[in-house]
Amino acid sequence: MTGAIGKPTPYIDAVQKVTGQAMYADDYKFPNMVYVSCLRSTESHAKIKSLELKKAEASPGVIAIVTGKDIPVPFGVLSISRDETAMAIEKVRYQGEIVAAVAAETIEAAEAGVKLINVEYEPLTEFFTPQDSLKTCTPDEQIHAHTKDHKNIHKTAELRFNEPEKELETAKHKQTGEFKFAGVTHGFTEPHSAVAMWNGDETLTIISATQVPHYLQKNLSKVLGLPLHKIQVKKPVLGGGFGGKSDPFPHEMIVSFLSKKIKRPVKCTFSREEVFITHHGRHPTEINMSLSCDAGGKITALDADIIIDGGAYGSFGVVTSYYNGVLLQGPYEINKFGFRTRRTYTNKHQCGAMRGHGAVNPRYAVETLLDMMAHNMKMDPCDLREKNFLSEHSSTVGEFRITSNGIRDCIAAVRKKSDWDSRYGKLPYGHGLGVACGFFISGSALPILWNRYPQTVVHAKLDFDGRIVMFSGASEIGQGSDTLLVQIAAEELGIPMDFVQVEVADTKTTPVDLGSYSSRVTFMVGNAAKTAASNIRNEMVKAISKEKDTTAESLIFRNGRIFTKDKSLDITWEEGVEMAMAGRGAFVESGFYISPKLGGNFKGAGAGLSPSYSFGAFISEVEVNPKTGETNVIKVWGAHDCGKALNPLAVEGQIEGSIHMGLGQTMSEEMRYKNGQQLNANFFDYRIPSSLDTPDMDVTIIESNDPEGPYGAKEAGEGPIHPVLPSIGNAVFDAVGVRMMELPITPDKVLKKIKENV
Amino acid sequence: MEYYHSPDSIKDALSMAREFDGNFIYFAGGTDVQIYRKQKLEKNEHIIDLKSIQDLNSISMKDEVLSLGAMTPLDDIIKSKEIQNYFPLLMEAAKSVATPVIRKTATIGGNLLVRNRCTFYNQSQEWRNGVGSCLRDVGDICQVTGGNNDCYSRNVSDTAAALIALNAEITLINSNEMTQKPLKDIYLPCGIKFHDLDNKNILTQIHVPFRPKKWWYKKLRVRKTLDFTSLTIAATVDNDDMARICLNGVSMAPILIEESLDTLTIESLIKQARKNCKTVDNDLMPLKYRREMINVFLEEWWEYEHHK
Ligand SMILES: Cc1cc2nc3c(=O)[nH]c(=O)nc-3n(C[C@H](O)[C@H](O)[C@H](O)COP(=O)(O)OP(=O)(O)OC[C@H]3O[C@@H](n4cnc5c(N)ncnc54)[C@H](O)[C@@H]3O)c2cc1C
Ligand code: SF4
Repeated sequence: MTGAIGKPTPYIDAVQKVTGQAMYADDYKFPNMVYVSCLRSTESHAKIKSLELKKAEASPGVIAIVTGKDIPVPFGVLSISRDETAMAIEKVRYQGEIVAAVAAETIEAAEAGVKLINVEYEPLTEFFTPQDSLKTCTPDEQIHAHTKDHKNIHKTAELRFNEPEKELETAKHKQTGEFKFAGVTHGFTEPHSAVAMWNGDETLTIISATQVPHYLQKNLSKVLGLPLHKIQVKKPVLGGGFGGKSDPFPHEMIVSFLSKKIKRPVKCTFSREEVFITHHGRHPTEINMSLSCDAGGKITALDADIIIDGGAYGSFGVVTSYYNGVLLQGPYEINKFGFRTRRTYTNKHQCGAMRGHGAVNPRYAVETLLDMMAHNMKMDPCDLREKNFLSEHSSTVGEFRITSNGIRDCIAAVRKKSDWDSRYGKLPYGHGLGVACGFFISGSALPILWNRYPQTVVHAKLDFDGRIVMFSGASEIGQGSDTLLVQIAAEELGIPMDFVQVEVADTKTTPVDLGSYSSRVTFMVGNAAKTAASNIRNEMVKAISKEKDTTAESLIFRNGRIFTKDKSLDITWEEGVEMAMAGRGAFVESGFYISPKLGGNFKGAGAGLSPSYSFGAFISEVEVNPKTGETNVIKVWGAHDCGKALNPLAVEGQIEGSIHMGLGQTMSEEMRYKNGQQLNANFFDYRIPSSLDTPDMDVTIIESNDPEGPYGAKEAGEGPIHPVLPSIGNAVFDAVGVRMMELPITPDKVLKKIKENV
Repeated sequence: MEYYHSPDSIKDALSMAREFDGNFIYFAGGTDVQIYRKQKLEKNEHIIDLKSIQDLNSISMKDEVLSLGAMTPLDDIIKSKEIQNYFPLLMEAAKSVATPVIRKTATIGGNLLVRNRCTFYNQSQEWRNGVGSCLRDVGDICQVTGGNNDCYSRNVSDTAAALIALNAEITLINSNEMTQKPLKDIYLPCGIKFHDLDNKNILTQIHVPFRPKKWWYKKLRVRKTLDFTSLTIAATVDNDDMARICLNGVSMAPILIEESLDTLTIESLIKQARKNCKTVDNDLMPLKYRREMINVFLEEWWEYEHHK
């Protein structure tokens, strides 16, 4: 690599963002725009007996009011669980669900209108815990009519290989644990916001803070009954997503419907409280897991029974159900393996995908059990893990293809840097070290909606001005995908990055990309962009070698020049562009990525399949005050195998961000409810760690050079979160000898355990 | 803005207060009160901003008495060399309030009069409509206890704990009189009317006459910054071994325990504290734990006091 790839590169949109020039969804204003405010349910589960709109309709400034019956077509990110409508119809399923939406000349007028709507509810039995939802109920009590056996179970996902339960029954070295995890939410900075316009040519344009323009386009088409080619979804600059903007949302349906109806631009921006209500975050989870080893410490079996609390609607829940189990197949080799996950509907905010999707909580469980095992077998926890790592170019029991794998380098790095060997188990009481590992998909190999197209296409355009424009549907959500496109084109064409610009995430002008989820963008879009840019180069080579009578292979593109090794030819980029465009003008080249066929032939084999997997090992150091139970995470060493760091600055940022986010879920973040109502729907009471709570971080990037990744790259956005949580939990054990089986690890829980221990 | 008023003298402020009687609030840094306005817990229309009034934000020492203007920003208190040297307890307490940015705006007067808090009350109007408003709002029962007489919202002022332990006095100005009284006397054991200032009273000065022999301060919260207290304890001991221990964040008003070290035992201290604190489940930190921490903190102070 001689160009921009592999160099720490500040994001191309960084200056825009810090100077306030960046346009987020809510920054867009259009003449004649109207504003929407939503009436939200005050009940958790109730029939809507009556809905009285007259007073609101007559309120000054109110232009239109819509209710559930106006937009009755159900939608959802997964075609198998389209169980949600834009607004509640006939009944509400959680407190805060949208019941009506008021469009008015000003936001104040819309809010005033909302206050004048009268709703009468008839309460239904409420289900707030998964245990309640697992029980049989009357048909009338069912949250959704489609669930089976009169229970509120949304999905049961189960896979089993080689009878793990038999092994566990007789295993000599066995650890079992019951774990409990509170729900957590993404906590992104920018609230959801969307503005829709009905255009003169009978088409719809929506500018929305979304991670998935493509799925939004598809769902809008369904809900509005509008052909796909009449819908333009544009993603503006986005203020964070973490999975919280990877579903199509009710407000997007509402503004689109309204703009078509009243033929004016319509905007809806959520308050922070509404963002919390909208949620779609990590499922509250209960896990019962068992793990066995042989006398030498080789894992023999793992079995897990998992219940996840999905809230009122489906979202990504079916995928989450599978991910909770299947992503336990690495980074250790486990040949007898099984799990069952049940996802329940409850009358609370709906859960969905969040950074590390589905695998974060079970990772905590398995890494804790391994630590217990090591302790019990008087083995070093790092050694025990090292005995069990999957090797490179191998396969898991569920037929995940493992290609590159840098896990051994990861654990070696953190072990050395943290001085593990001379400190673990030897620190004074109250002070401890803990280790954990993890792995994650580098993009889901299967699209969410089955089709025969590639998962992404990138177009690269060259014009007379020498500028390359990369057209990609990829959604920059702060992870650096726009910068990546520029780096790749600059690398392939040997030009400075400022020759490259991007046009992205606009379903009218950019080719389809499935979206920013499942850590797929670097791998898939990276590969496609590389092909597109190298195709431009091929075209230029053809033209130049013909005109200058050189061989195609002898041309070198570097530092803005095109030359042969002996410099018999040495021209500027612009001269090369002129030759390439002679007689044909500007041209576009294309690249795409399609995942190879992977996986087994059993039901559920597709879940968790990825063209490549990332790996990581983390060590945390904590101090626990045994009198108060307060735990202070002092330092985290993280090593992550991202294949190849195309932008080391971004990779470092992702690992640090993962440490911070993992710390939040471990120590203080929690969706708190009382009777279905969230007690902490604001950034004051929902406690994301502050800078003072954030430990020192030591980040090591491991490069295992994946054979199929662009320049060897894999993901780095989600994988690094998994080991963070259990490394802290295990450090607490080393510090004070108690096992934290419940997250968050709040002081009261630690203190209780310490007291029980003596 | 017809509702915003910025008098430049106390006299003008008081005459405005008379004019808008029953429909105004005093506004210092506004860091507390603005949130009440946003959440529609504060419905009075007129704002009388005290910022332009001269001489309300000075820090001075005379005859060993520290005088603080009520409008002094907490940040100035933290940075004052006099306070750092002679009243480190006050500095620690001020430093534990909110965040560096907020402390540049938040005043000491506002902090002493910060409104009591409760998980079921400090919420948006839509939220309160969801559970049903409580006694302190427009409803008729307490969401925490189910009772219909008493509100147990918590006094959360960190500097009040410190200043009460320091035996501070305050100056109040009303239409025609100026009164000086011990700070501790203004607080009432009621979550709804938590101090006895009539609505036109302006707090102008805080006086700290006493420099303790020893002091101790600790605040319980989830994060190391930003969070309101779940339990604050400030303690002082004077030259005659008289201990003043003030607990806040666990009851409707700061709780002061004053006793000579000659007679005080840790058991009796804990007993008095637990008896006087009307702690209920209205904070996100679990009730049992907060109660336990009263013991742990007091024991820690006790150890500190007896081991050095
Ligand atoms: C994120 C955040 C975190 C916070 N954390 C803390 C914390 O940890 N600890 C804490 O104690 N507080 C905290 N606060 C609350 C608040 O910031 C502080 O209490 C602050 O000191 C209040 O001072 P102020 O000048 O802003 O008061 P204001 O909001 O202006 O006033 C507060 C009250 O006092 C009255 N008042 C103010 N000055 C006078 C006066 N001179 N005479 C008569 N009445 C007066 C006002 O009418 C109002 O009722 C926090 C606030 C926020 C937003
Ligand atoms: S303690 Fe009871 S009455 Fe007081 S604010 Fe809280 S819920 Fe309302």
